[in-house]
Amino acid sequence: MKLTMSLDEFEKELAKVGYITEKEDRIALTAYLAIQLEKPMLIAGPPGVGKTEIAKVLSQVFSAPLIRLQCYEGLDENKALYEWNYQRQLLKIQMKEEGLKEEDLFGLDYLLPRPLLQGLMSDNFSVLLIDEIDKTDAEFEAFLLEVLGEFQVTIPEMGTIKAKQRPFVILTSNGERELSDALRRRCVFLYINPPSVDKEVKILRTKHPDLPDKLAFQVAKAVSVLREKLTLQKQPSIAETMDWAKALLVMGKTELDPVWVDATLNLLLKSKEDLDLFYREMGAEKLIEETKGM
Amino acid sequence: MERSELDRHLLEFIGLLRQGGISVNLTEVQDALQGLTLIGLEDKSRVEGVLQCTLVKSVNQLSWFQEAFRVFFAPPEAKATWQKEAQEKVASWEQGIAKTREELRFQGEELNLTEEQIATYLSLPEEEKERLKQFLERSEIGTRNGVQLDHSFQPVVERMFHGSLEYWRRKLGEDMALTPPGEEGLLSEVQRAMRHKELHYLTKDLKDIPPEEWPTVSKLIRKLTRRLATQVSRRLGQGKSGSLDMRRTVRENLRYGGVLLKQNYRKRRKGKPKFILLCDISGSMLKYTEFILQFMYGLTSLVTGIETYVFANHLMYITPKLRGAQTFQGMLNTTLGDLVDEFGGGTNLAVSLEELHKEYGNTLTRRTVLFILSDGQTLEGEKAAFYLQKTRSKVREIIWLNTLPEKKWKDVKALELFQAHCQMFECNTLAQLQEVLKKSPGFV
Repeated sequence: MKLTMSLDEFEKELAKVGYITEKEDRIALTAYLAIQLEKPMLIAGPPGVGKTEIAKVLSQVFSAPLIRLQCYEGLDENKALYEWNYQRQLLKIQMKEEGLKEEDLFGLDYLLPRPLLQGLMSDNFSVLLIDEIDKTDAEFEAFLLEVLGEFQVTIPEMGTIKAKQRPFVILTSNGERELSDALRRRCVFLYINPPSVDKEVKILRTKHPDLPDKLAFQVAKAVSVLREKLTLQKQPSIAETMDWAKALLVMGKTELDPVWVDATLNLLLKSKEDLDLFYREMGAEKLIEETKGM
Repeated sequence: MERSELDRHLLEFIGLLRQGGISVNLTEVQDALQGLTLIGLEDKSRVEGVLQCTLVKSVNQLSWFQEAFRVFFAPPEAKATWQKEAQEKVASWEQGIAKTREELRFQGEELNLTEEQIATYLSLPEEEKERLKQFLERSEIGTRNGVQLDHSFQPVVERMFHGSLEYWRRKLGEDMALTPPGEEGLLSEVQRAMRHKELHYLTKDLKDIPPEEWPTVSKLIRKLTRRLATQVSRRLGQGKSGSLDMRRTVRENLRYGGVLLKQNYRKRRKGKPKFILLCDISGSMLKYTEFILQFMYGLTSLVTGIETYVFANHLMYITPKLRGAQTFQGMLNTTLGDLVDEFGGGTNLAVSLEELHKEYGNTLTRRTVLFILSDGQTLEGEKAAFYLQKTRSKVREIIWLNTLPEKKWKDVKALELFQAHCQMFECNTLAQLQEVLKKSPGFV
């Protein structure tokens, strides 16, 4: 599907569904190009910067179903593409119907389409999210190349199934494993950094309109300080920033104070090592001080 | 801009990207062109965005792309300045080479020296240059058995020069490029800018990083070692569906009267690997002390269950001391005091591996991945290779991170013996460490 709208109009559509983009992050531009060039979009970046969210937002913008394939090590074609409904086939055989032929058992009724095939068989335009592709094995990546290259699959018992409507494919990667050159070449690439303070403030204000301005700024700045100044094992994600802001909002806070930073910090830092590091190298008071200095 | 001119500019820009190691194929060029046609050329930031998302496909390439874009689309005056600077550097290099060739003559005959040897001569300290010049002057007027030396003595002089310059080439070659500067002004400017970016840490030899830059570098090391830690934990709970396990399937389905309703698959599951880190702290590794300590601290604090040893003349087990330390400084305080006598000694890997087998043999199992951080310059190389082979037969894999540049491995005989029993990687920059750790799923 090609868009009839311009890039500026596309940016406005994203804003309409509450998705904040900035010119510098190039999210809108890359998504727009990927759609227009009919290429998969490969999104890389640290965990929690909103890679998966982009797919959800685009499915909203296009009013298209989101089909999601969550990748993990050991994922194979059976889980990703299709599987025969083996039990149903057995039951059918045991019914011992007259004139039952082998091909009767390999029809669409007995096929369990998994996300990739669902994407290909969809009558309407859909958004196919292949999440955390870096967690799969190289063999699965090679198999994926075939599907994404031709947008068709061959099922030996049924023949070739060609996409009725090419889905818009989004692949995400946390960079735990280097993806093959072949896969990367087929995609339009986007790297997302953690959001700037301004952008995170805008996100907070959009998701929690009741959040006082000062608190929104302080929360966004504090999270930015944590990301930049501490070598945390797991950096706070945007979702965690929102949780923290919401918690402070629920507690009726209008600005950050050390007591409440201590009380709610476990919404941001979720391992003992990270909490220890925070208290050893920074502490709540210094964190608040740092947010003023920015 | 006309289409043909756009094509030409784009191809020139892609040429600059390729010089930075970014491979761009024809489809990507077409994508970039189509993208530019769609988005237009009015907004420079958008043009950069189009080129970035169609031509760059890895985060490691982003820095080079950004600098290349800045330089390539800079105002003509700036480009002319860079070009002029590059040409001046080349001219100065050529002038220096020519002048030296004139200087280094034996009885009027030019000495037979390669350009690299002359470049080495140019980089020598002044007193060393003077020493060589004096040697040349004395030789010219010298006598043998009362007879004035003639041209037949020139090869002897040249051999002496070759030997001395080879010694200095090795000494200096690790620190400075003894190759001519590029004539391409834009490329030189991109390279210059890259040296000022974070990537500079990735490509810089770790022994050359000044103390004030270590906090930044240690952050990077922790980032890199975390990659290993996450890969380890990711492998924990997950198996892989393999082929159908008929035996278990039949047994499982006996309850359904032999109808195979439930299938069982063979799971291929690797056990959680155990890591052993063996760091060389002998004299030849002194220059990498900071890196060794940071690497040890990074791995120990992130990868649970890692066992750490250091060795020079013999082996020392230091895991308990590292574990007790909460900060890098803490680690230095607790471990360095004990290690201070060991640092800078001779190297005997054979003795150290023998001790590893004798005293800590129970840690060497099929689940063990052994990291050795050393330049491989050791006494008793053959014996060490024997123990390395013995170790290899007990562990899952041995990964040798060698701080010695790969081109020099051929000069250390023992390394050839060691390579047969381990995977050896050159590792004296963070970029190289990053590459090794990227390959880690293959060996953990």
